[in-house]
Amino acid sequence: MQEQLAKVLDFSNYQQTFSVQKKTLKERSEAKLTYGINGGIFRIDRDLLTFVEILITKGRTHAVVLLDINQNPILIDDLTLFRDQIFDRYFQVTNEYFEHYQNIKKSRSVEKLLDT
Amino acid sequence: MTHGILIYAHNTRAVDYALMAVISAGLAKKHLSMPVSLVTDDSTISWMKQSQTFDIANTVFENIITVDRPVTDNQRRLNDGETSSTVPFINVNRDSAWSLTPYDRTLLIDSDFLIFSDVLNKYWHTDCDLLIGESINDINSQDRMKYLDRHISDTGVKLYWATTIMFTKNQNTRLFFDTVNHVKENYRHYADVFRFDHRQFRNDIAFSVSKHILDGYVESNLGTLPPILSALDRDILYSVDNRRLTFLIDHKLDNNYCAASISGVDIHIMNKQSIIRNQQQLLELI
Repeated sequence: MQEQLAKVLDFSNYQQTFSVQKKTLKERSEAKLTYGINGGIFRIDRDLLTFVEILITKGRTHAVVLLDINQNPILIDDLTLFRDQIFDRYFQVTNEYFEHYQNIKKSRSVEKLLDT
Repeated sequence: MTHGILIYAHNTRAVDYALMAVISAGLAKKHLSMPVSLVTDDSTISWMKQSQTFDIANTVFENIITVDRPVTDNQRRLNDGETSSTVPFINVNRDSAWSLTPYDRTLLIDSDFLIFSDVLNKYWHTDCDLLIGESINDINSQDRMKYLDRHISDTGVKLYWATTIMFTKNQNTRLFFDTVNHVKENYRHYADVFRFDHRQFRNDIAFSVSKHILDGYVESNLGTLPPILSALDRDILYSVDNRRLTFLIDHKLDNNYCAASISGVDIHIMNKQSIIRNQQQLLELI
């Protein structure tokens, strides 16, 4: 019984550390998903990526005004270049996120989790 | 336009804020590649000379700005893991940052905020005169933050965190800092109006009330810096090893701890004594 309880407590500690590691990893990734240009700050998320892609599809590629996270209008001279840069950043960060997340998932002890 | 970081440090008999400021400044300078200035007082400088931190401070800080030591009877309850004590706390001159800063655009940070990333560099050229920490983000996955960590009182306005503030020195921000000073000077009155506890002066509250007033008495999330990842003072910074910080986290606030580690993210460590205990390892990182 004692042994079983010890196992449960060990697993509980592991789960707790696992969720903290997962949360801090998510926040680190989110912090990197911002992009500053022409005095504006943009959060790179699916909304922005899709909206920019739609504008380009509609032929609006130059001198486009976008609202940043502070609702300031920011003039983007070359939207295609902007699109490429935010897509690059998005995939760089999410790939890194995926890689680190796999490491967390593979770690089966608190000690290993702390090294991820 | 010159850019730089400003940190305040006034030592008390319980906490060596100057040492924390040296660590915080060294990390900020390393990861943001910006000059850092310190605002302090003569007695803190004397202690720095006595404790051998003054030489390091001279290499870390671009300017050491000496001001009169603020007179205050402010006290706070400070936890160090399971133990706690009530200690004096000198934080009443933060509104002087506008006039003291040597920079055109300044990042004002607390001495217990340790920077390990370049995330804040994106905000130097933002078209906003004043940016303030939007909220606090608990390091623990289960949210230990209560209503009063998000609002200045039960019925009051949103609480912003003065742990990180970025401002351009101009007439708009002068008005803001003058308002912070006005709220501080009339703290009891504003405590009545906004129904917050007046017994301990908090910069977070003075800055939040000022922002609320200058935003036109409406809540606005505009002009904010990223949420501040924070380890509470019930948590313990256990070790620092090659940029990896390992914490013992009191995840249910019941003195039962779990372990967690971070690297490459900025962190606000409220347990000041645990920063001091790891001073050697942290100084090696700067």
